[in-house]
Amino acid sequence: MSKYEYVPEPALVKGNHDFASITRLVTDVNLRPTPKLWYLFMLIANALLGVFLLAVGYLIWEGTGIWGLMNPVGWGWAIINFVWWVGIGHAGTLISAILFLFRQDWRTAINRFAEAMTIFAVICALMFPGIHVGRIWVIYWVFPIPNQMAMWPNFNSPLLWDVFAVSTYFTVSLLFWYVGLVPDLATLRDKATDKIRKLAYGIGALGWTGSNRAWWNYEKAYMILAGLATPLVLSVHTIVSFDFAVSMIPGWHTTIFPPYFVAGAVFSGFAMVLTLMLICRKVYGMEDIMTNDHMEKMNIIILVTGSMVGFAYIMEFFIAWYSGVEYEKAIFMLRATGPYAWAYWIMMLCNVISPQVFWVKKLRRHVGFTFFISIVVNIGMWFERFVITVSSLANDYLPSSWDYFSPTIWDVLTYVGTFGIFFTLFLAFLRFLPMIAIAEIKAILPQADPHNYDENQEYHPHVVEVPKPKVDRV
Amino acid sequence: MSEVTQNTYWKSLNELAQNKEYENFVEREFPENATELTDGVSRKGFLRVMGASIALAGFAACRRPVQKILPYSNQPEDIVPGIPLFYATAMPFQGSLTGLVVENHEGRPTKVEGNDLHPGSWGNTNAYHQATMLEMYDPDRSRTPLRNGEKASTSDFATFAQEYFADTNKRIAFISEANSSPSFTALKQNALSKFTNAKWVTYEPFGEDNAIEGNRIAFGSRLRTHYNYTNADVVVSLDDDFLAPTHPNNVEYAKQVTGRRKVTSTSDSMSRIYSIENGFTLTGSFADNRLRVKASEIEAFANALAAALSTRVNGLNAFRGINNQFTGSDFITALADDLASNAGKCAVSVGLDHSVYTHSVVTAINTSLNNTGSTVNYLQVPSFDNQNNSQAFADVVSEMKAGNFDAVVMIGTNPVYTTNTDLDFASALTNVEEVIHFGTYKDESSKSASWHVSRSHFLETWGDGYSFGGARSVIQPQIQPLHDSISEIEFLNTIISGELTSGYELVQNTFKGFYSGSRFENRWKDILHDGIDITDGYNRANVQLRSITPSQTSPIDGIEVVIRPDSSIYDGRFANLGWLQELPDPMTKITWDNVALMSPATAASIGVENEDLVSVAVNGKAISIAAWIQPGHADDSITLNVGYGREGIGRVADMGRENSQLLDPSENYGGVNVYPLHFSLFASGAISKSSGIYKIACVQDHHSLEGRDMYRQATLEKYKDTPMYASFAYVHKYDVPGMKEAAELGEDQPISLFDEQTYSADEPQWGMAIDLNSCFGCGVCVIACQSENNIPVIGKREVNRGREMHWIRNDRYYVGDENNPQAVHQPVPCMHCELAPCEQVCPVAATTHSDDGMNQMTYNRCIGTRYCANNCPFKVRRFNFFNYPKEYLTTGEDPDIIQMAMNPEVTVRFRGVMEKCTYCVQRVNRAKINTKIETGSPKPADGTVVTACQQACPADAIYFGDLTDESSTVAKMKRNERNYLMLEELNVRPRTSYIAKLTNPNPVLVDETNQEPAH
Repeated sequence: MSKYEYVPEPALVKGNHDFASITRLVTDVNLRPTPKLWYLFMLIANALLGVFLLAVGYLIWEGTGIWGLMNPVGWGWAIINFVWWVGIGHAGTLISAILFLFRQDWRTAINRFAEAMTIFAVICALMFPGIHVGRIWVIYWVFPIPNQMAMWPNFNSPLLWDVFAVSTYFTVSLLFWYVGLVPDLATLRDKATDKIRKLAYGIGALGWTGSNRAWWNYEKAYMILAGLATPLVLSVHTIVSFDFAVSMIPGWHTTIFPPYFVAGAVFSGFAMVLTLMLICRKVYGMEDIMTNDHMEKMNIIILVTGSMVGFAYIMEFFIAWYSGVEYEKAIFMLRATGPYAWAYWIMMLCNVISPQVFWVKKLRRHVGFTFFISIVVNIGMWFERFVITVSSLANDYLPSSWDYFSPTIWDVLTYVGTFGIFFTLFLAFLRFLPMIAIAEIKAILPQADPHNYDENQEYHPHVVEVPKPKVDRV
Repeated sequence: MSEVTQNTYWKSLNELAQNKEYENFVEREFPENATELTDGVSRKGFLRVMGASIALAGFAACRRPVQKILPYSNQPEDIVPGIPLFYATAMPFQGSLTGLVVENHEGRPTKVEGNDLHPGSWGNTNAYHQATMLEMYDPDRSRTPLRNGEKASTSDFATFAQEYFADTNKRIAFISEANSSPSFTALKQNALSKFTNAKWVTYEPFGEDNAIEGNRIAFGSRLRTHYNYTNADVVVSLDDDFLAPTHPNNVEYAKQVTGRRKVTSTSDSMSRIYSIENGFTLTGSFADNRLRVKASEIEAFANALAAALSTRVNGLNAFRGINNQFTGSDFITALADDLASNAGKCAVSVGLDHSVYTHSVVTAINTSLNNTGSTVNYLQVPSFDNQNNSQAFADVVSEMKAGNFDAVVMIGTNPVYTTNTDLDFASALTNVEEVIHFGTYKDESSKSASWHVSRSHFLETWGDGYSFGGARSVIQPQIQPLHDSISEIEFLNTIISGELTSGYELVQNTFKGFYSGSRFENRWKDILHDGIDITDGYNRANVQLRSITPSQTSPIDGIEVVIRPDSSIYDGRFANLGWLQELPDPMTKITWDNVALMSPATAASIGVENEDLVSVAVNGKAISIAAWIQPGHADDSITLNVGYGREGIGRVADMGRENSQLLDPSENYGGVNVYPLHFSLFASGAISKSSGIYKIACVQDHHSLEGRDMYRQATLEKYKDTPMYASFAYVHKYDVPGMKEAAELGEDQPISLFDEQTYSADEPQWGMAIDLNSCFGCGVCVIACQSENNIPVIGKREVNRGREMHWIRNDRYYVGDENNPQAVHQPVPCMHCELAPCEQVCPVAATTHSDDGMNQMTYNRCIGTRYCANNCPFKVRRFNFFNYPKEYLTTGEDPDIIQMAMNPEVTVRFRGVMEKCTYCVQRVNRAKINTKIETGSPKPADGTVVTACQQACPADAIYFGDLTDESSTVAKMKRNERNYLMLEELNVRPRTSYIAKLTNPNPVLVDETNQEPAH
């Protein structure tokens, strides 16, 4: 082979699946009786959800003082968790919209699933701006609702931009996800035997007939939504980063934040998709669709975004030094050596060092190892937000105000509780909706490729020979 | 209302006290239905409750006093609701008194201010004066007399007194606090002449007895030393913290000393202050040259100074032979040279608790330096007892033990708590038939008493007295007594005469003695109106120095334990005042507790760090207390503060011994009682590390400036060379970023990303300047602000979490060597930035700019994102993490007297909203409205608006006013070359600026005392 020769991709779907077997594989999860284990997990998730409701109930009853917040650290775990969850919520739309526009067919195996994760993560994230305020009962004042006070919100405030950015992102993600679901809901409607399911899926399917015209409209709508969602992927975390970057606190007021936050968000989002995917494909036997090739591709994205984040960390130091601003210099020195150095080095280890192992192909394709790193990355990303939010506030301009932030049990319970929301929704999703985009995955089967048919409509699948790499490592 | 005639209402409380309903009213303060007022207190709600209680008790109005008092100034026709009235009064403390003016809202006093006419305050106050408002409304104050622990009434006591004291041969010991009142002094004489077997002793745990005795040795008579620092070019303090509120005359002294530090141009001069002390005091931090020595070495230092001066001035020849560790030291030589060359213009003082001998040496030094009549006066104080009270008190106690007394009458003192365990005062009381205790609280002494009589707060009763320097005032009541209580003169009079006579009569009688016939009426009105009787005062004594025999006591070898009154709660009398408990100690910044202060070297030698428990032992008595490292403390010296470790005094004083939402049982509260170790100012002791820690709530964790420029200072000499030493360009060697670009555009300030507000020419533009050269860090601004702006007390747990609510804080930084640093103070209120970063980030526009240039907080609009606080570079915003006012205003089951201390002009903030300094917007608006009405001008004249912090500051360090008025004081101060902006490079354009500090160290000693400025 010459070095310019086309290297064929391995088949995206393993096993000898045809359209019917794919449909069966995916819809059986929704149509077969509920497995006992699901109930167990749902029970645990509901317990955590209960913890969340309890923590929030107590918060509303007693006040934000139950958290470890203080002067000068006015934002603590609530904002950290918000940014963390929004970051996780990045992967879904990126996979479904950007990869769709770039015609990355491998996205079909994970897009549905990642989008669901996105929506649930954004729901978790949206809890925090709502509950972290001092007077929860007037939170609606952040919306530009006409009122007798004739008061608009302050359009200068990044928090207000946040309200718009995250709610827009949530709306578009939800629509995008739902539009993608329509043909699959029709499949479920058609396969369901009992009345309730038929009715429920039927309503969701919006009278989908599978006609050419329906497909034509569907494809257009999906394309438009993908186009709409793409800038949002970049804008939402850019605007979240403005919460920090537009303020004037050393360590926050940096122009590097938008790209750095987006990279970090993609980084953590992909890690979360991997965590969930590796469990689900095992439990539901979807290894044929979510293959190790997918895992490897995602690991490469983690490696790339992790390196971008690492670069940003180092750039921050350089810029702080280069700026000559003593407060900037001091805060970065304090991050690495001061009272929160432990958090800083956890962050560096998890986010910068750990993904570098994915230079090794064997490790990229190692399921257990990938699972481990995917969790490490999300721990690291949580600490990144901790370092940014807390350390900058705790050691800002006037040394007299410096103080050390410690969380309380209620900070922890509220955070742990959001996993209850997330997993409750996610388990319900797995149980009642097709976790894989059936229609889309069928489109990438060799059977769907018109080139694989001769003029008599006979199917002659093209045999793909993947050349063996000359060395094991790339 | 109709049953009770006006006459009855105006005349006497006691008649009314027979009324059952009234008794209930007194007991409950508010009627049944008022208890629903549990969440915060709105002004409307408050008035409604007040209205209800009036209806129930059949009262014509609220608690205006029985006798007519006269308004201080600008009396509107009768009382106009919402318009406060100001009446003059005075606060007695430690045998002297300070003139005050009290703001009254509809008959309810709410705020204490200084009396401009009073020479003891010149319009200013200290933290105790400010906090006394809270004391009056303290729900834990003693509300009824107790007979053997059972509730009784004042008239019961009168009946008892009539019967019991009918026998004039009763052997009675009167133990009284120091009291300057002429009425009280007269009654004291009456008592001693009526009861022939009575003994009178004045007992103060930290009194001025040694100072008086020192003068007796030096001059032959018991005189008070009164300094006039206005004339002093050189001030020497030998462990005399005269700037701290623990000194009975700190306001006047602070005013005088700081007055000599007002420098407005390079041609101005400045006094020089030397401080020689063991701990780090306010005076020490304000001094230009500070020497840390053990407290037990102060006597040796005084001897060495006298010896050094003996070769330079006449009159100290007796000391010539003295030779000790200080003899010949650079410090002594430089100090003696400086004093000798400023003879007649210098003042040497020594701490009140130092030995009689040291006081006599200092008196001799001052006399030899010809300071008498110029910087030092010796006053004849009629209220002084003609005895050494420390000795007399010990004698009385031993006689009590011997059973030589039938009755003990304790007037305002609490000796059971404030004496050391060796004296065993409590058991001495058991040998006495009738123990009568008269006090504000049901305290330790009242528990051992057979009679406890409730003492009225001075704002409730008539009284009189002299200031430290001898200015005579009448104490005017501002309100009817809230409880069944009487004043000390009424009490003493009851014992003598067996009848309850009103204090008004007693005080009038005294003044009728001063002014006979028709002169009295006019004088009386003037005195009440002005709050000061200028025609008479203490006489200055003509003094002749006697020869003093030098004596040398060797200083304590090893560890010395020094016991001092607490800067916040004094000897413990203010222990139940949350404002003071939560006021950070001016030097350590500790709230709510006392600690064992020691130098870094001493701490290292016993291996302790902050909050480690240590055992401190003196004379075989030991206490366990948290260690705290105080940079600049003398080595091998431990300083302890008294007043803590209370039980059963009140909800604030004995924090942690009762269940309260404010408390976390896993933490320590209430501090440690140090009195068991208190034998004298200092004693030889031992310290060792014990196990465990004691959590301390300190509001400032970081004590170094980190090389940053927020505090700027220079020596006077440097200022004269480089007047612009405080400018950004000088400090940083480059101009403010953006200035060059701005200059090209023709702007005078760097450009901003945001729209800049334009201000109408019709509006005044408010601004503040804080003179760091005057501020000595006492913290009265914090309490004045708390009182004016209804700032809640949040408790130790919340302070420990870093949620202190004070709108103005006093930052204290150490500069230089850890063992012997300089300490600087910087008050930080809201800067009212013109380009306020907080305003830009609030999503709901709850914080905005007013037309008169103030950064305003709209509580009703705030949703509590705390983004503004995060984005504030000065970190002056405070958040209501909990419903603090609820906890603070509805303590326990009691419907709340304490709510009456709230200023009705300021909103009480609910949970979840941000708050911060408003530049006292209520005062600003009141002035604007008045000016508009009176002159039609929208701009109040300079000096019309005085913020609470500015008003209280005895150093006059805070200037506030209209910047559009070129001639206003604040505008002038801001034009001074020493004026600088904190964090100027951020271009937030603060309206509050600082006037950089100057020091005036002795050039000979510059290196040794570490006066290198921060920049």
